[in-house]
Amino acid sequence: CGQYNKILKSDDVDKKYAAALSYYEKEEYEKAGALLEDLMPLLKGRSEYERANFLYAYTKYHQQLYLESSFHFISFGQTFPRSQFAEEAAFMNAKSLSNESPSVNLDQQSTAQAMSALQEFMRRYPQSKYMADANKIYDELSRKIEVKAFDSAKQYYKLTNYDPQYYKAAVVALENFRKSFPSSVYNEEAAYLRIDAQYNYARESIESKQRERYLEVISMYQTYVDAYPNSKFLRDAERLYSLSREAVEKLGKNQPAAATATNNQ
Amino acid sequence: QIRLGVGSNAATSVDYANPKKYEIGGITVSGAKFLDPTTLVSLTGLKVGDEIDVPGDAISSAIQKLWDQGILGGVDVRATKIEGNKIFLDFFLTERPRLSRFDFTGATKAQAEDLQKQISLNKGRVVTDALLNSTRTTVQKFFQDKGYLNAQVVIRQTPDSVIANSVALDIRVDKGEKVRIGELDIERLNPVNEVKGGLGSLISGIWKEEEEGFSETKLKRQLKKTKEKKFYKVFTGAKFNRTEYEADKKLLIDFYNKEGYRDAVIVSDSIYKMSEDRIGIKIVVDEGRRYYYRNITWSGNYLYDDAMLARVLGLEKGDVYNREELDKRLNYNPSGNDITSLYMDDGYLFFQIEPVEVAVEGDSIDIEMRLSEGSQATVNSITVAGNTKTSDHVILRELRTLPGQNFSRSALIRSQRELSNLGYFDPEKIGMEPVPNPENGTVDIRYTVEERPNDQITLSGGWGGGLGAVGTVGLVLNNFSLRKATNFKEWRPVPSGDGQRLALNIQANGKRYQSYSLSFTEPWLGGRRPNSLTVSLSKSIQRFNQRDEFSQIQESFIDISGASVNLGRRLRWPDDYFTLSNSLSYFRYNMSNGSTIFRGYAEADKIRDANNVSFITSFARSSIDNPTYTRSGSSIGLNVTFTPPYSLFKSTVNNFQWIEFHKWMFDASWFHSLSGNGKLVLNTRAHFGFIGTYSSKGEIGPFERFKLGGSGLGGGSFIVATDYIGLRGYEDESITPNGAGGIAFNKYVAELRYPVSLNPAATVFVLGFAEAGNNFGNYREYDPFKLYRSVGVGARVFMAAFGLLGFDYGWGLDTVPGLPGANGGQFHFIIGQQIR
Repeated sequence: CGQYNKILKSDDVDKKYAAALSYYEKEEYEKAGALLEDLMPLLKGRSEYERANFLYAYTKYHQQLYLESSFHFISFGQTFPRSQFAEEAAFMNAKSLSNESPSVNLDQQSTAQAMSALQEFMRRYPQSKYMADANKIYDELSRKIEVKAFDSAKQYYKLTNYDPQYYKAAVVALENFRKSFPSSVYNEEAAYLRIDAQYNYARESIESKQRERYLEVISMYQTYVDAYPNSKFLRDAERLYSLSREAVEKLGKNQPAAATATNNQ
Repeated sequence: QIRLGVGSNAATSVDYANPKKYEIGGITVSGAKFLDPTTLVSLTGLKVGDEIDVPGDAISSAIQKLWDQGILGGVDVRATKIEGNKIFLDFFLTERPRLSRFDFTGATKAQAEDLQKQISLNKGRVVTDALLNSTRTTVQKFFQDKGYLNAQVVIRQTPDSVIANSVALDIRVDKGEKVRIGELDIERLNPVNEVKGGLGSLISGIWKEEEEGFSETKLKRQLKKTKEKKFYKVFTGAKFNRTEYEADKKLLIDFYNKEGYRDAVIVSDSIYKMSEDRIGIKIVVDEGRRYYYRNITWSGNYLYDDAMLARVLGLEKGDVYNREELDKRLNYNPSGNDITSLYMDDGYLFFQIEPVEVAVEGDSIDIEMRLSEGSQATVNSITVAGNTKTSDHVILRELRTLPGQNFSRSALIRSQRELSNLGYFDPEKIGMEPVPNPENGTVDIRYTVEERPNDQITLSGGWGGGLGAVGTVGLVLNNFSLRKATNFKEWRPVPSGDGQRLALNIQANGKRYQSYSLSFTEPWLGGRRPNSLTVSLSKSIQRFNQRDEFSQIQESFIDISGASVNLGRRLRWPDDYFTLSNSLSYFRYNMSNGSTIFRGYAEADKIRDANNVSFITSFARSSIDNPTYTRSGSSIGLNVTFTPPYSLFKSTVNNFQWIEFHKWMFDASWFHSLSGNGKLVLNTRAHFGFIGTYSSKGEIGPFERFKLGGSGLGGGSFIVATDYIGLRGYEDESITPNGAGGIAFNKYVAELRYPVSLNPAATVFVLGFAEAGNNFGNYREYDPFKLYRSVGVGARVFMAAFGLLGFDYGWGLDTVPGLPGANGGQFHFIIGQQIR
């Protein structure tokens, strides 16, 4: 430790740089980082400047200071666009940001940043050896965004027991989910939950609106059955369909004037 | 400095009008003595073999990149050779000295530190003229803002011998005299008297003062930051600050506009030197005349009729014309109704209203309100951002704007209130942004929040309670997550984000007094309904040593263990501010020599062990706007505790083996803001409590009684099965009819609060209070108007990490019989938010 402090205070640039490299080799990233930080302005315009910059970003990465490492990898890429390390820096920036991505139920700002950094990387270095890794990380992150959106939509469905106002909210939110993630694996469940919410919404509605809303259940069910003929929710959905059909029939008796079941989206 | 030209020995020329593609044949760097050429070339971003346009972007960006490093004084690019389509570039660099260090002379140490933050002198940077100039200007402005209008700054450069090619800067400041405003003069140009026969004359009787115009003192008061120095104005700095002065001139005009003088302008203003340290200001205002509303008409309204809109607007013919007030009543009125919310609460998001002055005659203005109602918008998607700790579902379940509903501004504001009441977010930074999609008539709402710490840790040592030293360790986690507790990765530093509450408290003083408590609350049991579940466990042991009448040391102890389960529910009827909670609790008391514990209650000696099974139901309504500094709303609660009526089944039941009683507590608190800015708040409270038995022969035991007086923290011999109620201005527990405690109390409080700081990290407010209360030993003596009164002042500090702390100085006005010193001036320390 005494040795380290001596070097830190020393004015000898070459000795300091050598020490920084050796601390880096020994995986003492905090010490290596502190030395490099001191050295950086003095190395400007010297041949060691490029490598020092690159290693400095890595010391932050190894200390799990991902926001800082991302910042330094980006600035490395901007300062030395022609460097042999530029590709690695671009990938490491994206990787740093993806490490910052929090769990699904929190703000996903970092996830979005990481995803756009990955896209940028893939666009610029389509032949990169890091491509497989980048694709894998990208899939994980986009999966996260999808799960978050589904959880939020489902949250409205969960609250329907508490307040019937949420039935309509659930229908709208689940539909929004389908529009945003048309190929999601959760769409099957979302479609079923939407039928359930719409059925209850119709059931809780005033009589003058019921017919129209039950018909909506029937139309939703028809789309659902076409899309997921072997769905595990099929039996329950079928039940809601029959109940809606009966309700429409009953309502039809009271007001025979209103005739055909039109599909009004 | 930047030239792309023909080198002295090159025979080719570059045609600037026709950019041509070249391949770089070579890059050289010249002129650099201290810098490494290879690195400089790599910094340019150019490589041999690159195809570039000459002239073109590639070279200018190369120059920019070198320049951005801040280590060069000049960059000059030349084409040394052009062979066919190959170009050879040379970067001729001028190196400039770098900054090695800088010092201030003529500035104090504190000023130098502030200046260092403002100026952009980084060590190692190249010293350029632009850098020196901007530094000089920044330093000069810094002192001018402090009132040194004549400050002079000179920067001297000296070569630094330690590091080659570097200079040291000495920034010399001559502050000069501090300049203050010696005189401030506001002259009114042709003050117009009211025109006879106009609308103004109808009400001129009321506005007598203004008829003669405003006094100069009143006008000077409108200049908030620009004040003149007078010998009697001890606290007036009378500094002159240009930006503040400009803002003050605007305030003066705003004041005139507010009073109906909508034509008022500042015709001229001059600043002149009186002496070395005094300047004078003269402002000339042309007031113009005062205007009044005449006819207000409406157009474009299909939903509401004119009469309805006029009622909401609340302006009458003859009212003084005030554009600011008009805008408030049209667009957003925080303290009442406005036209826009009438529409916006019903989904008319695209509603617009424009007041147009259709006629100005004399002092009367006719206004036509042109409305565009637009169509109703439904909410489409809701997003939340900024929650780095709190889970989405905890936030979503609080929001009142639901997808599929009509857009409503009041639902938006209610959502903000609900989020703020969670306590997890900075209330000043909760953002709500409706993003309309006019093509399909929907609106997306984006909420943004900023997390703030709200866990509390208490580590305290105290002296008191007749126990000597007492140590406390407390931990309250207000946004705990039990679900995440199993995953150590989610601990940062504790598992959090699910809105659960975990409280742990340990208090001990060696063998004599120990108390442990643990409670856990899940506000949304099962996540589907706002039904809360609270489980709490507690245990306390107290040992007493007291001399009896024969001077024998009597040892006694009381050991209480308890557990309780509480289920709470938010109600939607009578309105959704109501909550109902039910709990079942069990306490077991184990004790000896009870009469020394419950002093004055001799029969307590017979009690060895006692059991208390009780059912508590509480019905409450709370609509307070902000829990830390409340400005409006009220909270009312009725809390009833009862045990099974054992005595009705068994005639010879031991009174205390199974304790029986019923207890009623009622608390009400109202908040009203009294000042226009909502800062001065009046809080009025009333509290009542009663304990009774089931049969007329029944006896109320020593447990669960009331002790009144002091801070209400249980200062004396603190006993768990007792309710301590504060009454400032009297000693702790001094108003207690017998040793064991009273069975009926009432208390009334009026408190005026004013905030010193509303910073969410530390909210501070001061208060003045008047209160009165009494505590009765039996119902024959009960009289709600026989009270012990007190008045006093105090302060409270709310810090996110420690909760609420405060002290009060109260003066008890009535003497307590038998306790001559119990009233009069008393200091009280307050820890935690108190209900009663």
